[in-house]
Amino acid sequence: MNATRRYFRIRLSAAEIVLVAALALAIIVMSRLSPQFLTVNNFFEVTRFVTEIGLISLGMSVVILTGGIDLSVGSIVGLSAIVLGASFHAGVNVWLAALLGVLAGALCGFVNGLIITRANIPPLIVTLATLAIYRGLALGISQARNYRDYPDVFYKLGQGYVGPVPVQFIVFVVFMLVFVLLLGRTVFGRAVYALGNNETATRFSGIHVDRLKLIIYTLSGFLSGVAGIVLVSRLSTAKPDLGLGYELDAITAVVLGGTAIAGGSGGIWGTLLGLFIVGIVRNGLSLAFIKADVQLVFIGLVLIAAVVFNQVTRRPARR
Amino acid sequence: MKVVRSAVAVLAMLLLSAAFAQKQITIYMIPKLVGIDYFNATKQGAEEAAKELGNVKLIYDGPTEGRVDKQIEFVENAITAKVDVISIASNDPVAIAPVLEKARKAGIKVVTWDADANSRDVFVNQATFEGIGKALADQMAKEVGKTGEVAIVTSSLTAPNQNAWIKAMKDVLAKSYPGLKIVGTKPSEEDQQLAFKVTQDLIKAYPNLKGVWALSSVAFPGAAEAVKQAGKAGKIAVVGLSTPNQMKPFMKDGVIKSVVLWNPVDLGYLSVYAARQLVDKGLKPGDKVVTKRGTFTVQKDKISLQILLGPPFIFTPQNIDKFNF
Repeated sequence: MNATRRYFRIRLSAAEIVLVAALALAIIVMSRLSPQFLTVNNFFEVTRFVTEIGLISLGMSVVILTGGIDLSVGSIVGLSAIVLGASFHAGVNVWLAALLGVLAGALCGFVNGLIITRANIPPLIVTLATLAIYRGLALGISQARNYRDYPDVFYKLGQGYVGPVPVQFIVFVVFMLVFVLLLGRTVFGRAVYALGNNETATRFSGIHVDRLKLIIYTLSGFLSGVAGIVLVSRLSTAKPDLGLGYELDAITAVVLGGTAIAGGSGGIWGTLLGLFIVGIVRNGLSLAFIKADVQLVFIGLVLIAAVVFNQVTRRPARR
Repeated sequence: MKVVRSAVAVLAMLLLSAAFAQKQITIYMIPKLVGIDYFNATKQGAEEAAKELGNVKLIYDGPTEGRVDKQIEFVENAITAKVDVISIASNDPVAIAPVLEKARKAGIKVVTWDADANSRDVFVNQATFEGIGKALADQMAKEVGKTGEVAIVTSSLTAPNQNAWIKAMKDVLAKSYPGLKIVGTKPSEEDQQLAFKVTQDLIKAYPNLKGVWALSSVAFPGAAEAVKQAGKAGKIAVVGLSTPNQMKPFMKDGVIKSVVLWNPVDLGYLSVYAARQLVDKGLKPGDKVVTKRGTFTVQKDKISLQILLGPPFIFTPQNIDKFNF
């Protein structure tokens, strides 16, 4: 018991404490706006909305911690979904097809990593290119068709509940805990922070930087693949345009969560807070019947406020 | 004193009865996307109906891009907010169905309009294939007469909507205008330049051509431009489906005399009346929905019920300026 507590101990930085306060404030304001907001059922509905972006933002957190970025995640969601749909309709068992979808996602991430490390092109450019390529592949393989009619058991993943808890949220929590451990308690985690702080120094300290990057981008692709499978199950449909724009939602969660866009500082707990602040604000505003365009402006303002605050709080620490 | 007391009592009774008769309902109306003229027109109609009824709280909001996953989130939130009616133009009839089913199990009435879904209480249908086909055929006969050579510029040769319209048009021609002869059916593949080119080819190949049907909002301006550049405005009629704003310039130039479509303002208007009646009395086949703009009949269909908006609307030089979408 003690050991478990030690492994998952949450060490919150000043910025993260502010995020917790912001989350609490958001919850109070939203519950004033709508009587339906502060209910157990609604809380779990929010967890359903944030799961796919949440999975992607785990990978994105690690990528951004190293000072990189992965813009292709949304397209990987679409391509994984199509690989699942196409192989299922070619007669493959649905769970095997789902596995193929996840593997396709991991492969996409691996290719990203390969180009970034071998050709030495900045991740922004590489993943901007593969954003287009993977989406193009999804459209090409599917011929812009939708794949439907999966067995009912497959829909449990994205539409089922265990008690009041949505199945996909359990999946998310498992991955999240794995990532907390991975970043906080392993050599891999230390290497990720080191790489984000100073790549040259990390190289000279004997860490195989290229291999590390390869693993990180593969992980990001893998998680996007998992998100794609969950999304297909939730929507009962694999469409080539799935995941369009998800990269921005994931980056928003990570940056709002206090991870520095230049890398080196931040973490999974912050991302989780960022994810839920956006999810709760959106849900609360919707329940209060406040329009989508207002919500977008509001979330943009929250993001700027959070980043400004982070910079203000970090500056004295550096001196 | 007595007078005051009885006056208060009467007033209280009046208020109470008014509250019963006017039980306010909340309708959450979700278009395919917000911020385009077409759906703004449906919103305008819905607001007009809500105002006439007086006892409807209308919330009109949807995703900023036409994606079904975003729409599902809107529906989920509407369920949590416990609205009375969810009224939706769905971006995907199958993917939206489970969440609409969930809404209905929670006791919320579901109305679809503009684009149907596989689970709903009633669909407000803006136009049938037969209705569109007949309107296109009648309009052509009105503009070129009952005899002569005509041609079709369609979207792609396998497009299901267009093919259903063509079939309906041919049925009407066979019955009412046997003198109108279709000399060619050309695909334009949702490409305005291609529509322009195939119409040019048709004009060259058939010197006696009297009219062209253009069966998509992309084919219509392409075909009209070809007729205009060939100097045949007024000599070759172009009849087709599109939105008024897109075709206004061609109408001002005298290249076209009509645009066939439905009236989205009326579509939004009727869907709100249908929702109100669905909550108040329920709907069954044969019921009438009575509005200030006409009476509409409820029919049975494959999924549940539908209400037809009526024959398509013909935009003409006289009325086109009243519309902005």
